[in-house]
Amino acid sequence: MFNEIKNQFATNDVIIKRDDLYKVSVNYERVFSLIDFVGDSYNYKTLNAITCTDWIEDNHFAITYMLTTIDRRSTFMIQTMVSRENTKIKSLSQKFKQAEIMERDLAEMYGIDFVGNKNLKELSLENWVHTPPLRREFDTLEFVNNHLTFREGRDDNVDTKVEAKRLRAIKKAEKEALKKAKEEAEAKKIQEENQDGK
Amino acid sequence: MENKHITIFHGPQHPGITGNMSVELDLIGETIQKATTHVGYLHRGFEKLVERRTVIQAFTIVCRICVPEPDPNEANFAMAVEELAGLEITPRASYIRVMVLELSRLAAQFLWMAGQSGSIGLYAVGQWAIADRDLILDLFEELTGARVYHMYIYPGGVRRDLPEGFLERVSKLLTYMKKRLKDYDDIFINNASFKNRAIGVGIVTKEEAINNGYVGQILRGCGIKADVRKDAPYLIYNELEFDVPTQTAGDVYARALVRRDEMDQGIHILEQVVAKMPEGEVMVKMPTHRKFKLPKDDTWVKVESARGEFAYYMAGDGTENIRRMQVRGPSLVHAFTLLEKLLVGAELSDVALIMNSLGICPPEIER
Repeated sequence: MFNEIKNQFATNDVIIKRDDLYKVSVNYERVFSLIDFVGDSYNYKTLNAITCTDWIEDNHFAITYMLTTIDRRSTFMIQTMVSRENTKIKSLSQKFKQAEIMERDLAEMYGIDFVGNKNLKELSLENWVHTPPLRREFDTLEFVNNHLTFREGRDDNVDTKVEAKRLRAIKKAEKEALKKAKEEAEAKKIQEENQDGK
Repeated sequence: MENKHITIFHGPQHPGITGNMSVELDLIGETIQKATTHVGYLHRGFEKLVERRTVIQAFTIVCRICVPEPDPNEANFAMAVEELAGLEITPRASYIRVMVLELSRLAAQFLWMAGQSGSIGLYAVGQWAIADRDLILDLFEELTGARVYHMYIYPGGVRRDLPEGFLERVSKLLTYMKKRLKDYDDIFINNASFKNRAIGVGIVTKEEAINNGYVGQILRGCGIKADVRKDAPYLIYNELEFDVPTQTAGDVYARALVRRDEMDQGIHILEQVVAKMPEGEVMVKMPTHRKFKLPKDDTWVKVESARGEFAYYMAGDGTENIRRMQVRGPSLVHAFTLLEKLLVGAELSDVALIMNSLGICPPEIER
């Protein structure tokens, strides 16, 4: 199977990750014909997942299709790199029904346009107008600081750092007091022993 | 005739909904014409959060991805990290992990029993099931310090060894469960009220189940013997004897029978684990968590949860952070592709029944 894939799909990037997991990386132009090929020839007929990883430093997304055999004993990871800018990918929703929701999820989280998917409406983010949140340039901390307000909390609410410092100071004082008491006790003991000796 | 069509929301605040989600139903009379699943009430951004944390900091939040059954998340996370980092866990840790996963499966099946029976008004079953689940949670509390979110299956092994006499207490519970489950057969599984409502409802065909990527009891309920523990064994499942129960009807009742049989198999697995538990260490030596780096590589790991195949994609980038962790629980496809189709033509009163039989859990959709 691997030689066939290497020859037909012009790739040397075929890795056996485990006994039940293989990975192949191909150019975007060849990815859909490879999905058809492993399905028709080797029974990888079930689409389990579509994943996306943002490699912002290389300016591309790694899209991975997980296909399993009908007996579920083996999984094929087919990975392709696509540009991060105005990303358009052919939808698999015509071939696999479950791809519709998987693509809808990624479309919302990464801003990818899956061409041919008729149901790319919002999924969990309501009226979201900002950068798609799973893109690396989306900074959660900055977003929270700019868009959300912090509740003041209870009346007895204290800054945890200040409170920790106060508790540390109390502990230190206790420790020193204990040390001092111990030293005093020892000094007293020595003094008493000396007096007894006299 | 103007009022022929009505639209109602089933959830997010409805006792018959399986978590924080809703289904928009277009009805004529009591018959559903169209069903649209809505999520977004619960999004906590786990997949984004783990990108900001170190590997071990990320470990503390993954269990929260699924409330009824958090341990498959911990197992997947640990297995993915171990595979990327090249760590191999000890035999004792493998056995303990299987024990935790099977106890967790059993607890989740009791919770399903409570939901499924409650969906048709058999509330006594639910009360029994929650009480019996609590006995398992007691063991979890003793073992891990927590009842629901255990944070126990740690990358490199498990967080601590078994307390003294723990295996005896597991055995005692299993003996009780074996006896107790027969009561559930009488009050629930063989109950005519349940049979009348569940047989012939929510039918999934074999071809559809394979083509659309359904997992767990949906597959097994229509005759496909699929179980990750058998098909791609992880931990020590290949050393254990157990069956994969199947049914052929593909309806709500078939899925209930599969789940019930799985409880027996779970007890059988646990008995073997208790008998064979090896001695030894439970953790391998790990680097300090601040210096723990994953190489630039990716992997795909999966376990069999109580509701079917639960998988994680994980990519490292050579730093202390995880570049990408994507969760593929059973619910994403079941709640949209399957539920939206199954509800068309069904009666309004069957919505909760069908939803519960699919085991949909919204937190893993909105991860």
